[in-house]
Amino acid sequence: MDVFLQIIASGLTLGAMYAISTAGLALVFGAMNMLNMSHGAILALGGYLSYFALTGLGLPPPVGITFAVLVCAAVGVVIYSIVARPMLQSDNFETRIFIATIGVGVILESIILEAFGPQPKPQPVSVPGSLTWGGVYLPYQNLMILGVAVLIMAALGFALQKTRIGRAIRATAQNRDAAQLMGVRIGVVYALVLAISGGLAAVSDITISSLSSLLPNMGADPMLKAFIICVVAGLGSVPGSVIAALFIGVIEAVVQYIFGVRFNFALLLILVIMVLIWRPHGVFGRVQGVRL
Amino acid sequence: MTARRRDLFLCLIFAGFAAILPVVSGVRYTVTQTTFFFIWATVVVQWNLVFGIGGIFSLAQMALFAVGAYTAAMLGYYFGTSMILAIPAGALLAVIFSVALGLACLRLRGPYVALLTLCVAQVMYLMIVNDTDCFTNPPAGCMPLMGGVRGFSRFGDLGFRELLGPAFYVGHYYVGLAMLTLAMIASVVVIRSPMGLAFQALRDNPVYAAARGIDRFKYQLWIFGLSSFFTGLAGAFYAVNTGVVGPVVFSFSHLLFLLSMIIIGGVGTIWGPIVGALLLMFADEAMRELGDLRDIGMGLILVGCVVLMPRGVVGLFEDLTRRRAAQPARNAPLPTKESA
Repeated sequence: MDVFLQIIASGLTLGAMYAISTAGLALVFGAMNMLNMSHGAILALGGYLSYFALTGLGLPPPVGITFAVLVCAAVGVVIYSIVARPMLQSDNFETRIFIATIGVGVILESIILEAFGPQPKPQPVSVPGSLTWGGVYLPYQNLMILGVAVLIMAALGFALQKTRIGRAIRATAQNRDAAQLMGVRIGVVYALVLAISGGLAAVSDITISSLSSLLPNMGADPMLKAFIICVVAGLGSVPGSVIAALFIGVIEAVVQYIFGVRFNFALLLILVIMVLIWRPHGVFGRVQGVRL
Repeated sequence: MTARRRDLFLCLIFAGFAAILPVVSGVRYTVTQTTFFFIWATVVVQWNLVFGIGGIFSLAQMALFAVGAYTAAMLGYYFGTSMILAIPAGALLAVIFSVALGLACLRLRGPYVALLTLCVAQVMYLMIVNDTDCFTNPPAGCMPLMGGVRGFSRFGDLGFRELLGPAFYVGHYYVGLAMLTLAMIASVVVIRSPMGLAFQALRDNPVYAAARGIDRFKYQLWIFGLSSFFTGLAGAFYAVNTGVVGPVVFSFSHLLFLLSMIIIGGVGTIWGPIVGALLLMFADEAMRELGDLRDIGMGLILVGCVVLMPRGVVGLFEDLTRRRAAQPARNAPLPTKESA
């Protein structure tokens, strides 16, 4: 029983970390049908910026983290205005933006490699100590990650449901043309969505790297996992992706315990392949009608 | 002369020019680099069939390439099969694998296909790299079934070393050239045939195409099967040419390099992939001096091309010539919107 609870606890921590980065990815896909392949590089950038602000500039953690989040959000806006905007109206936007953002990811990753070198770096944001509760070992670090994730998801949910700009984002996701006719400035919505996604990526990577360490290509795995979660949930569904993230985190912990770390990721990928074949629009995805 | 004859004629002319290169320039580096160009160009010409002509955004091409390479290497390594048999065997297995993949992503569209195929390639990579159980124990050390991180080497070659001695790479050059020429001819024949028109119809308007009786199921399997034969062949030949096959063939930077070739040359055009392959091989060569900055350069080229010229160099050229031809007629219809 204790082992079971322990696995659930570490699975939920994993899931919480995934949820933060996946929510951003799902938001962007939902609003603008854009699969952002540079997400992984933005994740890594966020982690490195926090490291740089805290260790290099000696800023206090809250300021340093804010700095990282703001810069990553700015990167999102830059991607929108330079890369996405010129091709928004083209027929095959989905494919073109997929390829273009791969290029952006390569550029960002190379810049990180140039600036910080290939050696792993420690993430200075950490909370020492732990508590044992009912036989389950819970480091404060994991509890903090869970807390941050819950807080961010709640804030994001509130913003999407209750605020004016949240309604604009949802309207754009449902029907871009109609939203535009109703006076929604979709350019602003797109820029904002990419900025939120960038900011969430920074937070996500700071939590991920606080449990491991920083590497220039560290974003690749979390990004692929975020895509898996998005696909399982149905691309574009934000609440679905949070549920799927927690679910996949727990599955990953269970698989790791039973089969070992070795085949963990491969099994996850096989799961995605099955889901895609069985339900092409994901478990929570809505089937979109094709307009002729 | 029909467009099809013209394109086939051009293929042969270019092949003829390429055939005299080793005679004119005996520099080994040039010859071996051109052989690599033949291999990559073969892959992108066939990838263009799926991605450009069929409009199916599959990222499985390097996985098919790997199927070809690994089949040839494993047949040679475990069974001592002659490479003359092992290379076509690799190509055939790639075809079977590809048709299965085509079946798996029949119901998917756009970026979902890209994700599925990327996942398949990643599973193969992880299965190979994470397998550390020894299958055999040769003197060189433990050998997992799929070669593990180290991969396979010494699985045989095409026999050019005995035939030509130190100049064996010239033999590989001509095999590569023959392969690319055949792949190019196959691509022209497919694109300029009723089947090619069916692929393009399904790409441009799937519902209208289906209403006219074009069976998506049938044609999607055809296009996956057709395009994988030469890809598998190129993979198997790559294995023989370099003498080593390892998990590096799955690397993302390889995939990106080839994808950039298609994008820069022109998606969905006949000559685009080959022009793109040529341009990128030169760009890669030119940026060799830059070291780590090379990746930034590649990324910038890719983003710049996608944003500024969606139909690549060849598409841009076609648009320019069409505009010039249309100039005298004032009321001529505007060039149609990009359809790639």
